[in-house]
Amino acid sequence: MTAQALSTHALSAPALTTPASEPNAMATLAREASLRSFGKPSRLWWLTIVLLSLVVLAGIAAWVVQLQNGMGAAGYNDHAFWAIYIADVITFIGVSYGGAVVSAILRLTGATWRAPLTRLAEGTAVVTVLIGAALIIPHIGNPIRLYELVTRPNLSAPVFWDFVAVMTYTFGSIVFFALPLVPDMAILHKGHKKRLGTRRARLYAAVSRGWVGAPRQRRVMAGALGLVSIMIIPLAVSVHSVLSWAFSSTGRPWWHESIWAPQFVVAALYSGVALVILVVAGFRRGYHLQGLIHERHFVRLGFILATFSATYLYLTFADLLPGSYVADPATASVFTDLLVGRLALWFWMFAVVGGLLPLLLVALPWTRNVWGMVTASILVVPMMWLKRFLMVVGPSTYDTVTGTFGTYHFTWVPIAITLAAAAAIPLLLMLLFRVVPLLSIDEIDEIEQIEQMQEIGQKADAAGPHTGPGLPGTSNDTLVGATSKSHRVAGATGVLLLVALMGMFGVGSAAHASAAVPRSGTASTPAVTITGLEAGGSVQLTATLTHGHRLPLPNAAVAFGFLSTEFGTPARLVRLGSATTDQTGIARLTLGGDADHLYQPTAKGPQIFVASYAAAGEQPVTSSTTVTVTVAKSAYHPAPAKPLASVGDVLVIALFAIVAAIWLTLITQIWRVRRVCRGVGSAGSGGTGTSSRSWVKALGRSPQPSEEGLNAQT
Amino acid sequence: MKPHTTDLEVPAGLPLEVAQEVKKFLSRRNLLATVGVAAAAGALTMVSYRDDAQAATTPKAMTASKGAKAAEHAWCMVIDLRHCDGCEVCTQSCQQRHGLREEQTWIKVFGMTDSAGGTYHMPRPCMMCEDPPCVYVCPVGANIRTDEGLVLVDDNACVGSRACMAACPYEARYFNWTDPLPLNRMPMPATPQMPVPQKGTVGKCVFCADRLPQGELPACVAGCPMGVLYIGDLVTDVAVNGPGNTVVLSQFLRDNDAVRFKEELGTNPRVYYILGHGQNIGDQA
Repeated sequence: MTAQALSTHALSAPALTTPASEPNAMATLAREASLRSFGKPSRLWWLTIVLLSLVVLAGIAAWVVQLQNGMGAAGYNDHAFWAIYIADVITFIGVSYGGAVVSAILRLTGATWRAPLTRLAEGTAVVTVLIGAALIIPHIGNPIRLYELVTRPNLSAPVFWDFVAVMTYTFGSIVFFALPLVPDMAILHKGHKKRLGTRRARLYAAVSRGWVGAPRQRRVMAGALGLVSIMIIPLAVSVHSVLSWAFSSTGRPWWHESIWAPQFVVAALYSGVALVILVVAGFRRGYHLQGLIHERHFVRLGFILATFSATYLYLTFADLLPGSYVADPATASVFTDLLVGRLALWFWMFAVVGGLLPLLLVALPWTRNVWGMVTASILVVPMMWLKRFLMVVGPSTYDTVTGTFGTYHFTWVPIAITLAAAAAIPLLLMLLFRVVPLLSIDEIDEIEQIEQMQEIGQKADAAGPHTGPGLPGTSNDTLVGATSKSHRVAGATGVLLLVALMGMFGVGSAAHASAAVPRSGTASTPAVTITGLEAGGSVQLTATLTHGHRLPLPNAAVAFGFLSTEFGTPARLVRLGSATTDQTGIARLTLGGDADHLYQPTAKGPQIFVASYAAAGEQPVTSSTTVTVTVAKSAYHPAPAKPLASVGDVLVIALFAIVAAIWLTLITQIWRVRRVCRGVGSAGSGGTGTSSRSWVKALGRSPQPSEEGLNAQT
Repeated sequence: MKPHTTDLEVPAGLPLEVAQEVKKFLSRRNLLATVGVAAAAGALTMVSYRDDAQAATTPKAMTASKGAKAAEHAWCMVIDLRHCDGCEVCTQSCQQRHGLREEQTWIKVFGMTDSAGGTYHMPRPCMMCEDPPCVYVCPVGANIRTDEGLVLVDDNACVGSRACMAACPYEARYFNWTDPLPLNRMPMPATPQMPVPQKGTVGKCVFCADRLPQGELPACVAGCPMGVLYIGDLVTDVAVNGPGNTVVLSQFLRDNDAVRFKEELGTNPRVYYILGHGQNIGDQA
């Protein structure tokens, strides 16, 4: 399609010189319509702006209240730690995909009917993604620390990659919105400078400086736009996927689902197209664009909406069926809650009102009109918010220890903030289109010329060797490029960084234990003497039990232990077990000798061992010995590393490289367009005059008939 | 550069030629080359950023190479459910020590029901997982795991994303949804070992990490009148409870068939439970 757009310019000359063709009727209309939003605003416009501003201000006030009182003011609690705000973030960033689909996908597939919708769609995309990104601020408990996402990011965190993806996508959609403004602003500045007003005229001159619509400029612009529209599709896929992975990379029931990423993408497309329908309908009515945007536009968008509606219903079913069927207790609880429990009313309301009804409105011929499509969209947008809210709040309130549910309590604060965000969409769009043209005049112009050329081409079919300017082959090529790039974000969050704790244990040589410390006892009472022998980390304790005149005491249980100062002084006696004395009065205990005596010395150096014996009804007698341990064996055996742990490092580098490449490529596109404007413009003046003068001269010398036609009209 | 006039003076259109140029520009090779060059440049600039970021946020224990010195301690807890009567003194001791609200139960005693309807009590502190899901998902690396195996929260870095609360399979994390209670002790700077609750950040059981190096027992362990809770060290193989019963950890775990909560998740928790609550199944505790 890119090729199409740019070939048309070259085609425009013959097209316009052909007597049979009308001189760009649509483009003239588009120019006229674009200027409508720059006139003195009506009273209704002011009223709308004031009302919307009040709603937005109420939301900001609510946010201030939340900042002061904490997130508890928004109804959050430990049993509902994620709720309305994250649903808002998903919804608003989701609807921005509508702009991408209408503009980029239709551009790449060569759907020429998109032309009057693209500017509105791209504007919606920019505005909604900005609002969606801003909604992260109330979602975060400590928004003042958001800068830490840059200064100390955790590269294994899905939320960090959310941030990266949203920022990249925002930049991409701004570029995608801004690049086509250059030719439009040039046209309007050239032809309608007076109606623009001073400030707008200054802005348009600055943006479009040097743009004369020369073939080389158009070539570069079409190349840049083609590339950006290829990039914007996988970028949007990445944003919605990474958003879903913030949920599904946790272990919570229903969140931990592989289907969530594609489901989020389709949800974004579905609600996005609905919002584009609403925005287009609103501006069509407000600025009387019926001459450019017809019912067929709505019906075609409605078909896209119906496709996504059906796909989304299918994905919802596929999401819920396996978990309900297997009925693992946690998942079963959440699904019961959703399908027949607490949330059932809301879920089935979504399914009917947000899924089936819009499908029906598109399917039935007598509702397949502007009002039918607008009604469908009015149903879809809030219902898709509701679905996201249910998806968030169900598993969030589920207690994974007790299997019970907590409650999220709605308060006025999050409702005010959500309404403010919703009101900010029309508000920002209305303000935006006070500044930039409502329609992409240049694109309408080009596409009309293509269509004219196609007619001419059909007439002269047999004559020319190259008649079809549609170049379907080219658009196919660009599409191939798009799909190959969509693998960019390959499981950013699926891989966890893990390096196991490893200990290195010293190996020492054997050494004899220190001498026993005999305990003095009276002749009549029993006496115990302990000796310890350590060899290669293996300690053997020997206790000799005597009574009377050093007579061995057989068949008596001697308890062994050691002293530990780990939990404070005085040292605690840790029991090691007991052994029975033999006929010579000796009891032996080998540390680590069997399953009943697992303990082995864990630290090098002296360690005090104790033996004690207590005859029935008497005070225990004890003896201790210090054994110098030469080989320490930590009792701790770390768990083996997870199988895919090391993949993370490589993946992070790859992801960073891809993100950097995307940013560089996007910046390069701006730079290319700027350069080609400068190059052609300044060269027109022979390199002497100021740039603005050179631009005028270049325009004056321009042989472009479209510019002349434009002059003639004004 | 060719004179600009060449560009301007191509009105004849040559649509095919222009189209071919576009095609060429968008050709696979060109596209790949552009992206490739950008990717190479990006990789170079980003590798150092990645390393910085990892050094700043990844806990020492998780980057420890084989040659690194093994940690001196590996703190763990043993909870002997046979003796727990659900008095919640552990919870109260903890809340008093850390200045927590009533609903912030860093160690929480769950009333559990067995298959025959009998009840027992199960205290749940932080599991101090060796493979902690909360640490991985924190966007700013405010969750750290010390080389002694303590999973701690740096409240001075926490952004309050609550991703860790979503990730924790044990519901062991609590958020400061409102202003914390007034301090009931001398004010001191918050550390991960001895956090001071602050609005908009997350908190959780820290095993009283400030006490352990002094050989003191965590508040809950010291407070438990039933001797249910043991603080232990997997390296030195010793564990002790409040009343002072000191055991060889490995032996104790083995002899009593200790288990870990949700072993199947692979988080390798460092809290061990000794099951059996002293009644026949179906009886009330």
